[in-house]
Formats: sequence, C-alpha cells, structure tokens
Amino acid sequence: MSENAAIKILICQGTGGISMGAKEVEAAFVKHLAEKGVDALVGKRCDVIKTGCRGLCANDVLVDIITPEQGRVTYDFVKPEEVEQIIDEHIVNKSIMEKRKAKPYYNTFVDKQMRVVMTGCGQIDPDSLDAYKEEDGFKAIEKCVKSMKPEEVIEEVKKSGLRGRGGGGFPTGMKWSFCKASPGDHKYLICNADEGDPGAFMDRSLLEGDPYCIIEGMMIAAYAIGCDFGYVYVRAEYPLAVQRLQHAIDVCYEQGYLGKNIQGWGINFDMRIKMGAGAFVCGEETALMASIEGHRGMSRPRPPFPAVRGLWGYPTNINNVETFGNVRHIINKGSAWYASLGTETTKGTKIFAVTGKVKHTGLVEVPAGMKISEVIYDVCGGIANNRKFKAVQAGGPSGGCIPADILDTPVDYDSLIKAGAMMGSGGLVVMDETTCMVDVSRFFLNFTRMESCGKCVPCRIGLKVMLDILERITEGHGEISDIETLQDLGAAIKKASLCGLGQTAPNPILSTINYFRHEYEAHINDKRCPSNCCKELLLWQVVEDKCVKCGACKKACPVDAIVWEKGQLAFLDKEKCTKCKSCYDACRFMAIE
Amino acid sequence: MVNLTIDDKQCTAPKTATIYEAAKINGINIPILCHDKKLKPFGACRMCLVEVEQMKGRQIPACTTPVTEGMIIRTSTPDIIKARKMVLELLLLNHPIDCPVCDKGGDCDLQNLTYEYKVSANRFTDEKFHHDIDYNNPLIERDMNRCVLCGKCARICDEIVSYGALTFMDRGIETKIACEFEAPLNCEFCGSCVSVCPVGSLLARPVKFKARIWAMSKEKSICSYCGTGCNLTLGVKDNKVLTTIYDPEQGFHKGQLCCRGRFGYQFVNSDKRLTTPLVRKNGVLVQSTWDEALQIVATRLKGAGSSAAALATARLTNEELMLFKKLMESIGSKNYDHSAGYAHAALTEGFARSFGTTSSPSTILDIQKSDLLLVINTDSYETHPVIGFEINMAVKNKGVKLNILSDKKGKLSKLPNATTLVHRPGTAIAVINAVAKAIIDEKLADGSAASVVGFTELEKALAGSTWESISVQSGLSATEIKQLATDYANAEKALILFPVGLAYPGHDAELASALANLAILTGKLGKEGCGVLCMPEKNNSQGAVDMKFYPADGGLDAAKIIDGCISGFVKTLFIAGENPLVSYPDHAKISSALDKIEFLVVSELFMTETAALADIVLPACSFAEKEGTFTSVDHRIQYIKPAIRKIGNSCSDFEIFSALLVKLGNKAPVSPASVFSSIENQAAGYNGLSYAKLGLDGAFASVNIKSTFIVPKATSINAEAGKLALVTGNALYHNGTLSQYGEGPMYVCPEGYVEISRTDADKLKIAENDLLTVSSSNGSIQLKARVSFRIPEGLVFTPYHFSSTPINKIWSGAPVTWVSLSR
Repeated sequence: MSENAAIKILICQGTGGISMGAKEVEAAFVKHLAEKGVDALVGKRCDVIKTGCRGLCANDVLVDIITPEQGRVTYDFVKPEEVEQIIDEHIVNKSIMEKRKAKPYYNTFVDKQMRVVMTGCGQIDPDSLDAYKEEDGFKAIEKCVKSMKPEEVIEEVKKSGLRGRGGGGFPTGMKWSFCKASPGDHKYLICNADEGDPGAFMDRSLLEGDPYCIIEGMMIAAYAIGCDFGYVYVRAEYPLAVQRLQHAIDVCYEQGYLGKNIQGWGINFDMRIKMGAGAFVCGEETALMASIEGHRGMSRPRPPFPAVRGLWGYPTNINNVETFGNVRHIINKGSAWYASLGTETTKGTKIFAVTGKVKHTGLVEVPAGMKISEVIYDVCGGIANNRKFKAVQAGGPSGGCIPADILDTPVDYDSLIKAGAMMGSGGLVVMDETTCMVDVSRFFLNFTRMESCGKCVPCRIGLKVMLDILERITEGHGEISDIETLQDLGAAIKKASLCGLGQTAPNPILSTINYFRHEYEAHINDKRCPSNCCKELLLWQVVEDKCVKCGACKKACPVDAIVWEKGQLAFLDKEKCTKCKSCYDACRFMAIE
Repeated sequence: MVNLTIDDKQCTAPKTATIYEAAKINGINIPILCHDKKLKPFGACRMCLVEVEQMKGRQIPACTTPVTEGMIIRTSTPDIIKARKMVLELLLLNHPIDCPVCDKGGDCDLQNLTYEYKVSANRFTDEKFHHDIDYNNPLIERDMNRCVLCGKCARICDEIVSYGALTFMDRGIETKIACEFEAPLNCEFCGSCVSVCPVGSLLARPVKFKARIWAMSKEKSICSYCGTGCNLTLGVKDNKVLTTIYDPEQGFHKGQLCCRGRFGYQFVNSDKRLTTPLVRKNGVLVQSTWDEALQIVATRLKGAGSSAAALATARLTNEELMLFKKLMESIGSKNYDHSAGYAHAALTEGFARSFGTTSSPSTILDIQKSDLLLVINTDSYETHPVIGFEINMAVKNKGVKLNILSDKKGKLSKLPNATTLVHRPGTAIAVINAVAKAIIDEKLADGSAASVVGFTELEKALAGSTWESISVQSGLSATEIKQLATDYANAEKALILFPVGLAYPGHDAELASALANLAILTGKLGKEGCGVLCMPEKNNSQGAVDMKFYPADGGLDAAKIIDGCISGFVKTLFIAGENPLVSYPDHAKISSALDKIEFLVVSELFMTETAALADIVLPACSFAEKEGTFTSVDHRIQYIKPAIRKIGNSCSDFEIFSALLVKLGNKAPVSPASVFSSIENQAAGYNGLSYAKLGLDGAFASVNIKSTFIVPKATSINAEAGKLALVTGNALYHNGTLSQYGEGPMYVCPEGYVEISRTDADKLKIAENDLLTVSSSNGSIQLKARVSFRIPEGLVFTPYHFSSTPINKIWSGAPVTWVSLSR
C-alpha cells in the first residue's frame, strides 16, 4: 500500500455481521471519524467499507483496518462503544491495540484456507460495481466475448475440470455442452441458490458478499450455451442476499452489463430473481423449475433432462451459485491453473460450512483433496470443550457420517462417496462424544421426511417408517431385527425413489449403522444410549467418579433438581427433574448419565 | 424404431415409446398405478420399476423412461419384485383396507396388484389415515384415507379439464389431494377425477352401494345430450342404468365425459317416465292402450294433408326421423321441422349456400391438429364440454393458439395465451365481416380466393363499411380486428368453431356464411386442422339435417307451423320429443298456438308442459332402450343398441311411426337397419354404410365442399337506452330441457339464473343470489342473480333450459333482448 493511499476500514456485513451489530459499528466509525476530523489529523482519507462475509461469523463483528504503517489488522467481537478507542489508538496514534486484536487462531483460520471463489467476500463492497471492476470484474466475460467462441469457453471449462458444486459433481463443461447441443433459439439459465441444507450458507455468503461475481459467471455460461434469460432461484429466507443481488442486477442494467447488446458486445442477457418459498426439495433441479413455473415444488421424472426440456419446455442449464462463482476465475487465470488445484478427479477449491462441536465454526474454502482432519483440526481449531471427536457428517441431511478412523479421507467427490458420505453442498457437521449417532440419524431423517414433497411412495411413506423405527430405538423400544429392516428399507428407498432427496435421504442411517452399529445395538439390547444423549434412556444421575464438584450443573438446572454445595458431589433429584438436559449440556466432565 | 431386449426377448418399439409402452407393444405387462397414457408422465408410484443393464445400480421407472437403441431391460428380477412388494406394503400401511365396503372393490388397481404380488403380510407398522371424508356434494365422494397419491385426479383436472379443482397439499407423509384451502369440492363435476382414480378415493355417489362392478353388465352406447357424440358405457343391473363406466379406449375422447354425460343418465330410469299411452277424454288425460291411442292418431292423420304438421326433437335417431318424415309425406304433408326451425339454419342455409353442403367441412379430430383455433362465443365450452376438453388439450399440450370472439369471457378465455376479443352483443357477424375485410385489405387472402364465385361481390360489399363504423358498432378497435385477421390468415392451419342451438338465434345462416368466407378467403379448407366446425346442440342435430327433417318444396317451417296453429291453418300437430312451451322463443305465442290447435299428439318420455296440453300422449323410449344411429356435429355416424328393456309400456318412436304407417295402409319397415340402408339414397354422404360397417368407432359421412362467397347480412342491433342486453345460452351442466331429468345436472345447476357484470351489480346494488325480476317488452320472470367478472358491463346472460324459469316469457327469439332488472 502506498503512503498516500486511503485508510480502509472494512466492516464485515454479512447476515452474521449485521445480526451482531455491524451496522451500529459502521455508524460509530463514520460518526467518530467525522467528529474527530480524523482525515485531517492523519492526512489521509479514511474509507469505511462494508464487505461480505469473511467466514468466521462466530467472531463478528470483524473489522479490518488497513493502514500504510500497519498493513491489515483484524479486530474481532467489535462493539460500537469500542470504536472510538480503536480510532484513537490504531488510526490516530498508529499503534495496534494488541489486546483487542483477533487472536492468532483467526490468522490460522484465514491462512490455512485458499480463497478463490470467495476472494471478493470480505474484501469489497458487495453493492459497488466499481469495487468489483477494480478486482478485474467483468474482464472474464469481456475476454470470452472478444476472443473466444462459445465452444472455446465450454472447452476451457471442460479442461479446468470444474464439477458442479451443488453436490452432484457433474462436470460443468459437459453440462453446458449438452444444453448448447439442444436445438432451439430460446434457452434458460438457472442459478440454484435454494440452499436448504441445515448449516450450509456458502451460497448465501457469496450472493451477499460478491453478487457481481455470480452475475458474471452466469453471463459467461449464457454466452457459452446461448441462453438469453437467466433466473436466480433464491430462498426467501435470504433477504439480504436477495437485496444485494437485486441491487447488483439493477446496477448491471443501468450500466449496460445486462439487457440487450451488453457493452456493445452484441450479446443479450436478461436476468431476474425468483424467490423460493422455503421447500428443501426445490433445490432439486426439476422441482426448482416446477416452482419457477408457478407449480408446486415437486420433482419431475428425468429424462427428459433440463438440458433437453427444462423450464417451460425449453432447454435449460442449471448450476449452483458456487459453480458460477468459479467460472470467471477459470477464464481469467486459465483452465491449466485451475486444473492444477485439487485432486485428480476434483479440481479447484471447495467451500465448506463447518458447524457443530468444533472450536471455530464458519465458512472455509480449501483446495479440494485436503484431508477432513486438516479442515477440522488445522483450519477450525479442533473439537470444542476438549471433548473427543466422534464423527463428521458430510453433505447435509442426506450425507453420511465419517468416523474418526477414516478422518484422513480427502474432501473430493469420489473419496467422500467411497466413505459413505457425499460432498453435497459442502456442509460439515462435527460431532463429539456427546453426540448419539442414532439420534443424529433420527434428526436428519426427521428433516428429510418433513421435506419430502410426497410424490413418490418410497420417499413419502418409506422415510416415515424408517423414522418411526429410529424413534422407537431411541426410546428404548427397538428390536434387534430393526437394524436389518432399516438397512433393507434404506437401500430400497435409495434405489426406488424419484429424485435426489429420496435417493440420498437414508444415507445418514446407513452410514451410521455401518460405522456405529454398536451404538444401535446398545440402544436396542442394553436400552442405554452410550453418548447419554437419548433422553428416554438416560439414568438421570451423577457419575460420582467423574464429578469434579464444580457445581456447573446446579447453575444450569432451571428447576432446582440438583443438590450441590461447594466441595460436595452433586446429586440429581429425580422427583424434581424435568429431563431438560441442561445439566448434561453444562457438565464438561461427562458426569451426568 | 429402436431395437431392444426386454426379459431376454428381442423387441422393437417406436423411438418415442417409453419402456412401459415398448413392453406393452411386445406383450409384456409392467404394473402401473399412477401412469395414464392421457396424462403427462409422472413417475410417482414406483410400481413400474425395471432394471436396465445400461443404468445399473438404479431402478428405472418404465412409464417415464424413453427407450434407446440396444437397451436391455428386465421387468421382473427378484430385486424388482421385492421393490414392487415394498411399494405395496408401504401403500397398504396407511390405506384402510376396507375393501368389503369399498365400491371400487373388484375394479381397484391397488387391490389387484396386492393380489398379484401376494402381499399378504406387512413387515412395517404405521397408523391409518384419519382424513375426513368429503360428502359435501351428492355426486363425488372424496375419501383421502384410501388415496395412493397417484395424482391422476389433480392431473386430469388440470391437463384435460383445465379446471384445477384438486391439488397436492402439504408435504411428506401428510401430503394429500385437496381442494384449495381444503374447501369442499365445488367444480364442474365432470367426474374425470372419478374415472381415473385407481382406488376408492373418488367415487360416484349416485351408484354407491348399488352394485358391484362385476354385477353390472357393461353396455356400449352414445350420449344423448349434446352433439359431440361421446361414447358411453352404461352400467346396467336389473334393467336399470345405474352408472356410466369409464372406458379409456372408448371414442375419440377416450372415455372423457362431462357432468351431464357422466352424471345425467338418471332420466332413463326416472320414476317420472311415461309408461302408458294417454288419451284425453272429457278434458282429462286417461290411461289407454296403444291400439286405441294409435288408432285415434291414425284416423286424425289420414288424409290430413297440409293441415297436419310435425315437430321433432333432434334427439330422435336418424331412422326415426326418416320414418317420421315418411309418415308425414304419406298423409300428404310437407310441414315438418325440428329445433324451432332456426337452430339448424347455419347448416341448412348458411353452409348449404357457402359450402354446397349441410355438413361441417371439419371434424373434432382437427382441433388437436390445428395451429390456431378461432372460437366464436366462449359458450362453445358450455354447449359441448368434451369438445372443450379437446380445445384445452390442444392449447395446453400442443401449443395451439386460441383466439376467441365472444360477447363475454368464459372458461376458454383462461387458457394459456388465449386472446378473447369481447364485442358488443349481437355484432359477431359485423366483426367477422370486418375480419374478412382486413384479410382482403391487408392482402392476406389465399391466391385461390379471387377465383371463387362471389369474390367480387364480397369484396365490394365489405369495402362499403368503414373501420370507424365497425369500431363504434362492435366496441373493438380496428387494430384488434386486423390482428385477429393476421393471426388467422398467417397460421398454417386454422380451424373455426361455433355452437348453434335454440338459445343462440344469432348463430344463424349469416354467421355461418361469414365464417365460411374467412376459411375460403384464406384457403383454410379441406386440409387437416383447417375448416369450420359448426356445433349443433343436440345429439342428433346433424342427423336431423342429414335426414332433411326440415321443410322443402313449400312445406311450413317451425315458425310458420306455430303461426298456422294460431291461424287455424294447421289443425293437427304431432310433436315428437320437443317441448316448445319451454324451449322455443315467445312463450305467449307458443302457448296460444298449442291452445288453439285442434288436435295435438305428443310422443315423450315425460309429462312435459307441452305433453300436458296434448290430446294423445304416447310414451316413448330413451336412447338406452332403442336401436338406431346418431350423427355427431362432425358427421360421425354412430350406432346404438338397447342397453335395457323398454320401460313400462313405452315404445320407441320408431315403433310408433311404423305402427302408424301400417295403420295408414303403408308397408312398415322391417327394422331400423333396413331404414338405415335406405338412407344412402336420400342423405348425401351416407353411401355404402351399414350397421356392420359403423363398428364401435362409427363412420364419418363424406362431405364434398363447393365453395361460394356469400355476402352475409350483419344483424342490426338497436340498443334501448337504460336497458341491459340479455343474451341467452347454455349452462355448462345442461342440454336442452332433457337434462332437467338428470340428477347430476340438477344438483349442480337446479334452476335458471341471470349472470350480471360486477359493475352493473354495483350500480344496481345487486348481490349474489338476489332474486331479480327481469323484464322485457314481452314480459317478466324472476331469476337469481349471479355476479360474475366474465360478463362485460351492460350485458346479462341467462341459460334457457328450465321449466321452472322459462326465459321465453321475456325472450322473443331475438339475438339480443333488452331488459331491465329490479329486486
């Protein structure tokens, strides 16, 4: 940064940031900078810039201050009342507030990642076209239109090895070439932003943090395939993403980046947002198209595939937000560069939403092929509360659980499938020793069975039957034959269901039976939950040799059912207990069973 | 064709076939529950899963997957059998399995498949459903507890009926088929949903607990309501028609029926049927014998000459009409007519002069083969609902463009991309002439047009009108009319459809010729998907025209017969099946005619208002009791045979006319078949046909067109200040006055009503169901109000079918009647 450049104050304003008070922090910065006349004091312009999500939402509000002297310094958990002091010390006095600086793990979290798709997120103002253009915005589409034939664009994407980031992992270039090959003058392009997996939010963050990048990705795809109209199907639960994307679309129309004869390049592309009403199944491409058409979101049989007969009967190409996010980087930096990242079968980077019992939850972008253990331990700091790792659920509610002994599995499409899980949209739910695997299966199955559109029999009724069996097991009424029934039914549902939802919904059960069969057997044979998680199977007593007499359980109990005095073992009064499990969650020593 | 292997058998199948169809063609049956070839592929039930060598690891639904070259398919591997059993086990978990009391028993796909796959036990357990059963209407029972969610009901209601009464609701195991906001079913009651339901979820209530499917004999017949010519299968037990049974292979319409066709059969076995001849003695109708009654009639007719006249309903068979004509001619009278004389004018006068034939130069099958449909009057749906289904399917599935020219909007207007031009009432002919003018002016006419006889005269006549005057008259802009002309002329194939009938006096010879001009001008004639389809009202209206049961050589037409009754010129009137007192215009005049006539004979199914005035009442037979042929609107001749024995002591009109012919000293025909074979000498297009040749599908009478341009005279409408324009027409559920004896139609639409625009309703402070007095210069009647947004301001609409509210008390037969409304 040159001596004369402005001082930049980047304030993370994704949905997470805003909910933690980022807008108030921004206002405080603006107010104090003006009141103090900081620009004049330091002889430089101070720009307060709102940015998209940086990934570590747990530490919001995150503020980066970039000055010529100190470079980039990150403060986390910033509150509006601290802003004045930060300005005084860091900007005016040019001394870093070491105590308030983000801890070293923040830098580890950031440095261990490889940010390609998310380069703009957290760096630029998502509402500013100029900021985007400074980051080579719209250079890729310009390059395509001016120096590449549509076929060459598709070839480039094919060579890059980019595969669909929505979860299926279908080669993107191939998909584009299918749609291009379909006869017809009128074709649709759809960006699937119906991110329904609990815990996954990379699509939302991309739309909130760098919407122009998605628009450009879609423009390139539209040019390559020959589409003239694009839809972005976003869930209505993402108001900020919708607002920022709509703003970006409006600006693009104003500035001639969308519409007829874009930038005088002789290409046309129109775009609009279609908001989904919150059905998980609408992330499935055929249900998504039905929803855009105004029908109930129900899957349709394939073939015909969308590339042949899609939206309103026209050839249609559907890609995920993250897939589109990759496109401009492939064009700008070349397919060879992109193909050099990742593994043999999975190129580039992948964004994961890491949640659960891990120290630092958030979005991480890593090269495909990184080991899961590296993601969890090196990037995200390992398991919280010093507990033992048990499993990681990869691929959302229809993914599978990966146990500790195969934690070296690389995160690429094929290895994850081999491990009985899947890439999915990139959700990683980390579970520790307090998590019961039967209960986890029950939880995910409850989600998928509620979200089943109800069209095909195996998914509609089969999942309900499986759920009933799991509930029985977690309540201590299971029979040993239930395990076989679950496996049998699960395999049949996977084979016989109409769409991806039913075809993958039994995965959590099948993979947990595969890796954690002993837990099922304990529930059924011993009527005990080894993780002390299933309420009906808890003994509701204190394990005396584990209790450290700290009294945390007493503080947590809302009904005074714990008897404890300093230096004494705790005692649980079963008469008073309402089985809310607050004590169990509060105890860090696994002393409640 | 592609080559494939199914269950180790080398097969071929068309490229477009699905695996299911390919297997079926090759004699291999794959079980289905949710598939229906009428509907778009759905793939929900997963009963039809098969294994495909090339798609290993998955089970492939046969009903949605197209075949590809070299496919190797296995339809019944142990894995597949297991999967199908699982589907059945899962379905039977929640299903009540109440087969002993389910009307679908014996005809239920779920029951049959369960039996076939021997699912005698269930590995799983779950609760049964506890949905409330919808008993809110007397026609269709909806029991969602039995539902397998194949979605066929919702799909047929959307894809074919285009009503959309049913839809999927909720998610997961709670998913069910429901009406919007879970309201009770309130729809067109065509029963299409009932017909395709594979289980006992949707049932026809009129037949509930009356007969098991196997206890009924299935009798093929033809619907006796409108002129569409739908084929029926009647379910008969103990000489009673208990129901109509769906046969998806039957007729051009593949078993689709409307409300009256499916639920309107009860008139056949109605308690109100006349069963004995009645003779008026001392002013009172008393029971008599056939011999006595017919002898009186014969005596009266003998030598009556032109003082005798006949009116027939167009519901009689071709053979009966032929015989009736013969009877009249044998006594020296040429005074016979049907359908009030004017309802057949579009064919007998309009098409006769424009096309040189009295048949439509198109068929119903052209609808789905066309590129553009020009429908005159949205009532085309109400008059011929199953033709309406064909229009729905053409527009929704084949992308056929729909242009409507009408005095109001209607259901057809709601179809995707339909354009409805709403003109002022009574100005249809003027608008159509303007379309012809635009075609000529904009040089859109076909090269052949100029050489057709009458072109110069037409061109000259049309040049006389200005766009301004047309706009003022019709309420449509020149741009709109020219756009319609361009659309019509530029379409490669275009078909015009228009209904005619007693309630549509404006749809006359002039309208027919005006429409014929458009087709001739643009060369849209004599080709597939082109032409003009005139849709007469009754099941044998076209046949009555073909049998020439209308006056020629100086005979009196219906209007003159009525006048003759009043003047005393006509002394004996023989009415077969018509009820002019209710259905002909000008009640006062008809009433006076029937009062004054010396001798009135009525052959009827019921003691109608007209029959009550007769001197002799002859109990006739319904379509279900007789043999003969009906000719549909598209001149398809179809054969009917008795489905039940005659009710009581009734006789068919064929037998009545035969007996009278004998009594009058003529030779009686041997059978309807012999009369039919004699028709070919008298009706063009019936050559070479016999009952045997008609077969199950019937046969089209040939039509030869000789085009001529006619200058149509536009009706002049003189608006009366401060009054509303009343137009008459058909209600969706009714046809003529016969449907009053059908329970289904009478449930859905029990009485007359007057439909009024929202604007006028607001102005006049009229609310839905208000009882209004509708007054014209002829008189006044009371009708319930229906406030509707399909009706434009200044217009009111009323259907004509009802004896309880005879609209001929205010309607004199003019295309537009000026009325005032009061509460």
